[in-house]
Amino acid sequence: MSKFIIQVNSAPYGNGASFNAYQFAKAALASGHTIDKVFFYQDGVLNTNHLNSPASDEFDLKQAWIELHQQYNIALVNCVSAALRRGVLSEVEAGENQVQHWNMQPPFTMGGLGELVSGIEKSDKLICF
Amino acid sequence: MKKLCIVFKQAPHGTAHGREGLDFALLSASFEQEVSLVFTGEGLLTLLKEQDPESIGCKDYISTLGALGLYDIDTVLVCQESMHEFNLQQNDLRIPALVSSAEEIAAHFDHVDEVMVF
Amino acid sequence: MILHLIKDTPANSSALNTCLRYARKQTDCILLSGNAVNCLLQAEVLAHLADYKIYVSQEDVAARGLTRFLKQIEQVNYSEFVALSLKYDKVISW
Repeated sequence: MSKFIIQVNSAPYGNGASFNAYQFAKAALASGHTIDKVFFYQDGVLNTNHLNSPASDEFDLKQAWIELHQQYNIALVNCVSAALRRGVLSEVEAGENQVQHWNMQPPFTMGGLGELVSGIEKSDKLICF
Repeated sequence: MKKLCIVFKQAPHGTAHGREGLDFALLSASFEQEVSLVFTGEGLLTLLKEQDPESIGCKDYISTLGALGLYDIDTVLVCQESMHEFNLQQNDLRIPALVSSAEEIAAHFDHVDEVMVF
Repeated sequence: MILHLIKDTPANSSALNTCLRYARKQTDCILLSGNAVNCLLQAEVLAHLADYKIYVSQEDVAARGLTRFLKQIEQVNYSEFVALSLKYDKVISW
């Protein structure tokens, strides 16, 4: 069995790559492999915007990531600087930047690029989407 | 420690790919990874001299390239074929880089642990 | 031994052409997913890819109504994609 780290670089809506990443992650876990973390970088951080509100009959990718976390306890980590630039903030960044609102919450977390690097170091294989 | 190769295939400034690629490269190097850079296609234009990205509302991340040595990033390859396509010479580039054939770049990909494309 | 992952159609992205510059015909493979699968309808692209080991994402092909057009290309589901990614030394996502 192997350990993957999955990097998601694309927006959840308007680009199919995030869905591909989710399907890959699900299949890897179902096959008995482990995932160190799913790391959201570049436009991938938009996956973690809690305000994403697809219509009720559409696939909710954010919810799918959350369910994957609930089932397998995999970490879902944002690059904080990529997130801030794209308007994705947790309560902590909202406080630091003196804004009234935030749109990212657990199980998604904020981290630095260092977490991507250390994840790559610990994993057998990096897959970017 | 892993050998990480960061490939720049997209032009600077029009998108954030190049900037976020360089951010990742420098961060990885500061985390003691062995980092190398490959510039191919329009990504090659990242290396041109006399850029003024701030005039179009972009951060001047290009000047950071001058600090690659401080981060121990010594391996910088540029694609020979792309140099020809864009009609560029080595003295058009702002940092010393090894002009490499496709085969040399493919061999470099074989040599490293992970390749990330921006 | 590299798996090259192509997610975007060459109509919009330099991914495939850049990959073909460096991919090794004997040892590497190319997996097309998302809209990248569309380019396999084009004879010119198929000719370029003739000497490479090519896979396509079964779900992405079926979703686009392309299954009957791409019968000659090996299709993989996600668990086969996972297995392929481990068979190769690394995955380069262009």
